[in-house]
Amino acid sequence: MTAQIGSPTVQITGVRKSFGAVRAVDDVSFDVYPGEIFGMLGPNGAGKTTTIRLMLDIFRPDAGKVAVFGGAMDEEKKDRIGYMPEERGMYRDQKLESTLIYFARLKGLSEAEARSRLTGWLQRLDLYDHRQKRIQDLSKGMQQKAQIIATLVHEPDLIVIDEPFSGLDPVNTRLVKDIIEEQRQAGRTVIMSTHQMYQVEALCNRIVLINKGKSVLYGAVDEIKRRFAGNAVVIQGEGNFNGVDGVLDVYQRNGTWHLPLAAGVAPQEVLRTLAARQDVQIERFEVAEASLDDIFVMVVQGETPDD
Amino acid sequence: MIKQWQVAKHEYVKAVRRRSFILTTLGFPLLFAAIIGFSVLLATNSGDDRPLGYVDETGLLVASQSAADSPPLQPFDNETAARAALDAGNVQGYYVLPAGYLTGQQPRLVYLTEPPADDAKQAFSRLVRAALLADVSPEVSNRLQNGLSVTMQSADDGRELGSDDFLSFLVPLFAGMFYVFAVLTSAGYMLQAVTTEKENRTVEVMATSLSPLQLITGKAAGLFGVAMTQLTIWGTAAVVALAIAGVATDLFRGFQIPWSLMAVVVIYFVPSFALVAGIMIALGGVVADSQQGQQIAGIVNLFFVMPFFLFAAILARPDSPLAVAMTLFPTTAFLTVAMRWGVTIVPAWQMAVGLVGLVICAVIAVWVAARVFRIGMLSYGQRLDWRTVRAALSGRNNAGSKTSEVAS
Repeated sequence: MTAQIGSPTVQITGVRKSFGAVRAVDDVSFDVYPGEIFGMLGPNGAGKTTTIRLMLDIFRPDAGKVAVFGGAMDEEKKDRIGYMPEERGMYRDQKLESTLIYFARLKGLSEAEARSRLTGWLQRLDLYDHRQKRIQDLSKGMQQKAQIIATLVHEPDLIVIDEPFSGLDPVNTRLVKDIIEEQRQAGRTVIMSTHQMYQVEALCNRIVLINKGKSVLYGAVDEIKRRFAGNAVVIQGEGNFNGVDGVLDVYQRNGTWHLPLAAGVAPQEVLRTLAARQDVQIERFEVAEASLDDIFVMVVQGETPDD
Repeated sequence: MIKQWQVAKHEYVKAVRRRSFILTTLGFPLLFAAIIGFSVLLATNSGDDRPLGYVDETGLLVASQSAADSPPLQPFDNETAARAALDAGNVQGYYVLPAGYLTGQQPRLVYLTEPPADDAKQAFSRLVRAALLADVSPEVSNRLQNGLSVTMQSADDGRELGSDDFLSFLVPLFAGMFYVFAVLTSAGYMLQAVTTEKENRTVEVMATSLSPLQLITGKAAGLFGVAMTQLTIWGTAAVVALAIAGVATDLFRGFQIPWSLMAVVVIYFVPSFALVAGIMIALGGVVADSQQGQQIAGIVNLFFVMPFFLFAAILARPDSPLAVAMTLFPTTAFLTVAMRWGVTIVPAWQMAVGLVGLVICAVIAVWVAARVFRIGMLSYGQRLDWRTVRAALSGRNNAGSKTSEVAS
């Protein structure tokens, strides 16, 4: 699944950015290659959006180096980038089609080309019949899909999307997921920032996890999951599974209990503790492959396999 | 350049489709037409075409009168006959020129309820003046009747100004008003164009499509086109209205387009627009939303319309230190020049100094606007603090505003 072919589309090397006394990004480094979907993860306020803005030259770093398409950002490179920011919006009082044409033209498309491509996109995302409506009259999900069109209509080589699935129903989520996967298959570089870990697991080749402005986890998703394997247990049973030493969290998913473990805690210790308790009944106990959800919680709480 | 053109086109189309633009742009010519029409109506129709009578007890007045006098004057042998005509409704009223008029006795004007029309009274005055000057040569008589008419001439560039031409006073004044309205209307759109990007959260997408400088110059170019459209419509409407009025009445006859003033308008317009646009872009970058921006813009606008508030003082003493100071001050320069244009000859050095100051301020405003906009564009829903603005202007902050969020 990892596709590090050729030179990186984006190279972030030791970037730092402070706002007053607050250091928003502190020595973050990562590379992103063509043909991969790269996940940027992190809790709210971790520095993800600031890193993206540094990458796209909206902010300039205090230190470190940002290279896009092999060098510093310039006006021509902007035509090769599609960006859907977290703080997204469109001209609410304008009509959908004219707004999308305007955005496409700012990315270097001719009006005829923009119209031609938009017809296909609008039909595919079920917005064609709404193209003459004002944006403020569209539902949140429709506006989200319109944003996706504006991001992709000029066929950018680098796609940066922040929370692409927010506001979408399951049908449209699947549609957008397919579109992102198509972009990867077409050899484009996709950087996706999201809190939906199962989407990251399903789509991303590699990830970087940023916490408190620092890059705390970076690599291929499969490798990371292997590193964290054994650090969670799955239990089928009844009772109260809280209050076990070495267990970071307890939650239920699909009828089973998931218990991410602190680093250095052996699953057997947890089993022994639970077996000795009268308030639980265990029908099945197994060592889980750590989900990205679990890894996220562990890393953010400062627990890593090396600790 | 293509992207700036796209932004300019987008802003232009958006602005000219606004209801407020259509109302303002078409409303002014309609108002102008109404004023001219009303003036023509007043000048051509007093509303009462009955004659005005007079009883000459001095024997001074000759019976003849100018054929152009309308309504005509009608002599009566005595006041009894005049009174009978008045009661019968045959005359608007009548004058009695008493026998002791030449020794200081006052004439009397008699009427029933409404005083006679002004043009009738003026006709009688002309008749009396002509009779008093009967022994003087016609040339001298004309000079005395018309008063002292002076043409002022500037020694430095030969510009001339007639003292009794009311159009030479009104046209620059209206030109100044239109100019200021056009600049301020565009300023309002400019502010809205910037705050709209912030309020709609489109700034980040725009920032990854073109540079902040391309964005703001594109917006400014589009709204410059809006202002030019407005001025062209207003100017054309004014010229057409005055030309039509010139055919209808003496009041506007002989009107000529003041090309020298038009040249001054053109020269002042670009830097004035750049100054206003720069101020509004910077303001749009600093404020949290358009409502807050409009409140502050209202105060900024005062600096441009200040001459209106000092209208009487400037016209009464057009070469006073106050008028000169406002000619030299960048925001009030053109409007003050326009006000003074019809009543004095504004020295060329004053216009040159005012224009240079305006150009310098415009350049600074655009520079500040580009810097402040770059840092302010991402401050969604929040106002930039003064420290951040100062840091941006000093170049210490590389688009580093982060007032909307600490880190995300």
